[in-house]
Amino acid sequence: MNDVFLPDLACLTGLCDETPDTRTFRLRFRDSSKVKDFRFLPGQFIELSVFGHGEAPFCIASSPTRPEALETTVRRTGQLTDALHQLGEGNEVGVRGPFGNGFDVAAAEGKDLLFVAGGIGLPPLRSLIWNVLDERSRFGKVTILYGARTPADLVYKRELDEWGKRSDVEFRVTADSAQPGWSGAVGVVPTLFRKVDLRPKTSLAYVCGPPIMIKIVVQDLVALGFKEEAIISTLERMMQCGIGKCNHCAIGHRYVCRDGPVFNYGQIRELVE
Amino acid sequence: MALAIEKKAVSGWLERLLKLGEVIAPTRTPTGDVLFSNIRSGRDVAWDLPNPLHPPKEFVLPQTDPLVQIKRNGQHHEVEAIHEGRRRFLVNARSCDVKGIAFLTRMHEMEPADASYLRRSNNLTIISLACATPCPSGFCICTDSGPFLSDSYDVQLTDLDKSYLVEVGSAKGEAAVAEAQGLFRKASEDEVSQRKRLEETAKQHFGDQTCHFASAMRRISTGRVPDILWEKMSDWCLKCGGCNVICPTCYCFSVKDLGRDGVWVRCRLRDSCQYAAFTLEASGHNPRPEKKDRMKRRFFHKVSAQYYTRDGAVGCVGCGRCVQVCLGATHMPAVVAAIRKGSWHE
Repeated sequence: MNDVFLPDLACLTGLCDETPDTRTFRLRFRDSSKVKDFRFLPGQFIELSVFGHGEAPFCIASSPTRPEALETTVRRTGQLTDALHQLGEGNEVGVRGPFGNGFDVAAAEGKDLLFVAGGIGLPPLRSLIWNVLDERSRFGKVTILYGARTPADLVYKRELDEWGKRSDVEFRVTADSAQPGWSGAVGVVPTLFRKVDLRPKTSLAYVCGPPIMIKIVVQDLVALGFKEEAIISTLERMMQCGIGKCNHCAIGHRYVCRDGPVFNYGQIRELVE
Repeated sequence: MALAIEKKAVSGWLERLLKLGEVIAPTRTPTGDVLFSNIRSGRDVAWDLPNPLHPPKEFVLPQTDPLVQIKRNGQHHEVEAIHEGRRRFLVNARSCDVKGIAFLTRMHEMEPADASYLRRSNNLTIISLACATPCPSGFCICTDSGPFLSDSYDVQLTDLDKSYLVEVGSAKGEAAVAEAQGLFRKASEDEVSQRKRLEETAKQHFGDQTCHFASAMRRISTGRVPDILWEKMSDWCLKCGGCNVICPTCYCFSVKDLGRDGVWVRCRLRDSCQYAAFTLEASGHNPRPEKKDRMKRRFFHKVSAQYYTRDGAVGCVGCGRCVQVCLGATHMPAVVAAIRKGSWHE
């Protein structure tokens, strides 16, 4: 029987500042067989240990199509994430996982895909976006809509430029409020819906962001003709164990860590607190 | 086949078990509390003590449960799972607590199985004493967890005045009896029928404390408990978390690294779903900010049909400990009764 709480050791092999308080960490397992064996789906998460500070769940922000670069993007917001942000390249962390159900990539095959992300909600979608772009021919039209409070809060800025330049992706970005030097759109994410060809009948919509943004986006998508089952999100909850035991993330008799974190909107509506 | 052992021979049996591992039983502390703790001699078991306020879950799920040893070594770390699972015999436990540990074991056997818990539970043999006299706040008859057990026990004793009737319910129980084979004899027909009479009499002597789960379960499972009722009940709750601490089936936990200077032990610490921080996210968002939300959660987990289906039992063994400790009288039987009636102290 495995010891379910025993983490694997991993080394930080790259850091990238995304915003003043958000950083992407690239990880490599110390055990080379683990590097090879670690398989995951976009939308799954890991329990990341900062030794002496505990562990917490973070979504895998990199794509399974690029297994050599396991990445997670973390905002500094408490004692554990503060300690993680103190670490540098070469420092060691612990990893358990992957956990959770993840996005059903096969079910998206042949469909038009709409990604709608707000602020720090982009990392879990980024895993799926790169999965889709690396296997571009399997999918229909790809539309990515991304917004943040200010231009400075946008993450993965270089990749946003890249998506913007690709002819096989329709990419739009917006900021809730403009800053000097910002030439992009201003307004909340749903204001972008008017500017793109949404195709509600043939699309799957992936929505991730702060709760209020998700609520508004989902309302709009339903009004625009998206079926509840075609609107897919990842839920966030306080979690400890990641394996459905500690009960922190339970909603009714469902567990976000095990039954989720990916749910479609029909399933979310059935979850009773 | 039921066995019997003379009362005066029991201490000899326990002496044999003491050679194999720890023997734990209710003991009275110098300050008067009754606690489950290690005994040193077979004569130290006081069979007539009341059931301790703290259930024996400590011996399968300690308050602070060491899971992983972490050592920093320069840039590197060594991590190692901590294996604790001394052989233990829990003696003079009550039927409710036997069922409580059986419940916890089912929770921890669910995939992915929890090796840390199962090492302890696999090495724990429970020698329980059936309750000929129900305790004042107990309602185990409503939860199928007493006063006598028909399953889940390793060894069940029944007090027959001069002897104990001995029922063996598992391989662990067989092994414990085999340690002192000469002390046991086949029970007489008279002893077996005496045990049956005692069980029937015990069932007739429950006090006013009952807990009728069925209609509460129906309402909780279908969301038909009015919000205002949760609000009124939770007004009385002092959110102390005492109900979670003393509940034989509560097992919610958090994980924390304890230690300093590069040497830590990652521990599982028992937590309480009644605390606001239980669901507080790093962003500051809290999906269960109000007391009523958290009380609703506690009773959904314990009483809903959804969990009953998953767990095979309600999350209550009728021990009545929450009745004893709850400062706001929002304990299991009171809440279940209020949900049945649709009103709270009106």
